[in-house]
Amino acid sequence: MERLKLATTPNALCALVAAAFLSGFCFASPAFSQDIAPLGQNPISKQQAEGKPLPGENNEVTPDPLNGFNEAMFSFNLKLDDWVLHPVASGWAYITPEPVRTGVGHFFDNVDVIPRFANNVFQLKMAEAGVELARFGINSTLGVAGFFDPAQAWFGLKEHDNDFGLTLRYWGAPTGPYLMLPFFGPSTIGDTVGKVADGAMNPMSYLLPWYVSLSAETGWRVGEAINYRAQHLNMFEEADRYAIDLYGAVQDAYLQTRDNKVKQLHEEEW
Amino acid sequence: MKAENLDNITRVRVVRMRTRVWNAMMMAVAVALLAGTMASRAFADEPMGVVKGTVNQALDVLRDRQAPLAQRQEQLRQIVSASFDFKEMARSALGYHWRQLSPAQQDEFTKTFVAFIEDSYLGKLNEFTNQQVDFTTTKSLGQGYAQVNTNIVKPGSSEDPTKLNFLLEQEGSTWKIYDVTVDAISIIANYRNQFNRVMNNKGYDTLISDLKSKQAALEASLGTR
Repeated sequence: MERLKLATTPNALCALVAAAFLSGFCFASPAFSQDIAPLGQNPISKQQAEGKPLPGENNEVTPDPLNGFNEAMFSFNLKLDDWVLHPVASGWAYITPEPVRTGVGHFFDNVDVIPRFANNVFQLKMAEAGVELARFGINSTLGVAGFFDPAQAWFGLKEHDNDFGLTLRYWGAPTGPYLMLPFFGPSTIGDTVGKVADGAMNPMSYLLPWYVSLSAETGWRVGEAINYRAQHLNMFEEADRYAIDLYGAVQDAYLQTRDNKVKQLHEEEW
Repeated sequence: MKAENLDNITRVRVVRMRTRVWNAMMMAVAVALLAGTMASRAFADEPMGVVKGTVNQALDVLRDRQAPLAQRQEQLRQIVSASFDFKEMARSALGYHWRQLSPAQQDEFTKTFVAFIEDSYLGKLNEFTNQQVDFTTTKSLGQGYAQVNTNIVKPGSSEDPTKLNFLLEQEGSTWKIYDVTVDAISIIANYRNQFNRVMNNKGYDTLISDLKSKQAALEASLGTR
């Protein structure tokens, strides 16, 4: 008699196990458990009652040990922009049609191939480094000395922007405190070291006497800055319209952007 | 009739019958649970629906140049406030300072920040002319959280599209937007950094009066555009 009972139970057991298994799935999804759980055990209302930690709520303020220097440089840069860069850029924007400014932007960008290529190599991104070389070859010839970007338009080769500050972060070096540089804008200690390293990759600095290469480099960067600013004429006006504290807005936007770039460099792998 | 009085064959039939009923009940429960699972799976697609609905409705209002500006702004305000959790945004933007405020201050701050953010979005939307929104992917950010990615493309431009992503949280049976990232910069995190600095350097009174004057300036500029 006992044998008979035992022989029939496995069917029921199977069904139970299956049901338990499935209900496990259901309880894992909040939408379902929320409807059937008593209010007090409802995972979402529980979270709310306990004061769910909000994104960033436990974060301390962005560390800024060089704040004194940074604030001074920030207002210096804003004044410099207000008095010199913005008026000059407006003049440049006035005398040039938009395609010319875009072309000049491409030109400056094309010549800066060396740090982009080198840092892709430093991060063992050989395919990206190869694309940079190919882009330089195509744009310097077919793109009329780099004023146009046929590498992307015709061949679909996108730029893989990179710099030594990113290489340092990529290999895990701490980037150090936030640093506002005069003329150059937001940076960190690590990114400033990177900027110097990238600048040293320019062959001009070895082939020419320092005073020639330095003034050439300076003129070059000023030209680049004027053209860039002319392409983004109401950049600060726009930012200030939506900012409560412009320094904090610029600082956070810079740091978030750099962090995201490194994350992207790691995600690109496979 | 007692079970002991039955012959063996009848006993087997009774037991089998009970087993069948029991099995059927278990199956019914299993099916019900499975249906529940399916229903909650369908939920997983909803963040995209919320974002698409909001963006498309907002674009419809923006493209309707016939209606008076004030009416369009009111329509936009309703569309946006239906899918954005502005209160959560206000709390999150204030970070750890939130708990230091009195309930009255929390209320005042929330109201002011909500008005400020609404006017910011309206201002941004007004600039939105012939761009096109491509809805790309939905990504789960863990249980009850999701991210919907979109690209803002200017037709005929070689510029890289702007990556506009929406972060959503499940609230009851709906999904609400609690943050927006522009080219991977979180807007709420950016405001949090600004508010942290003002709170630490100057205090709440400065923060609220700055926020109020910025909001007033934004509102004034909305009318003139």
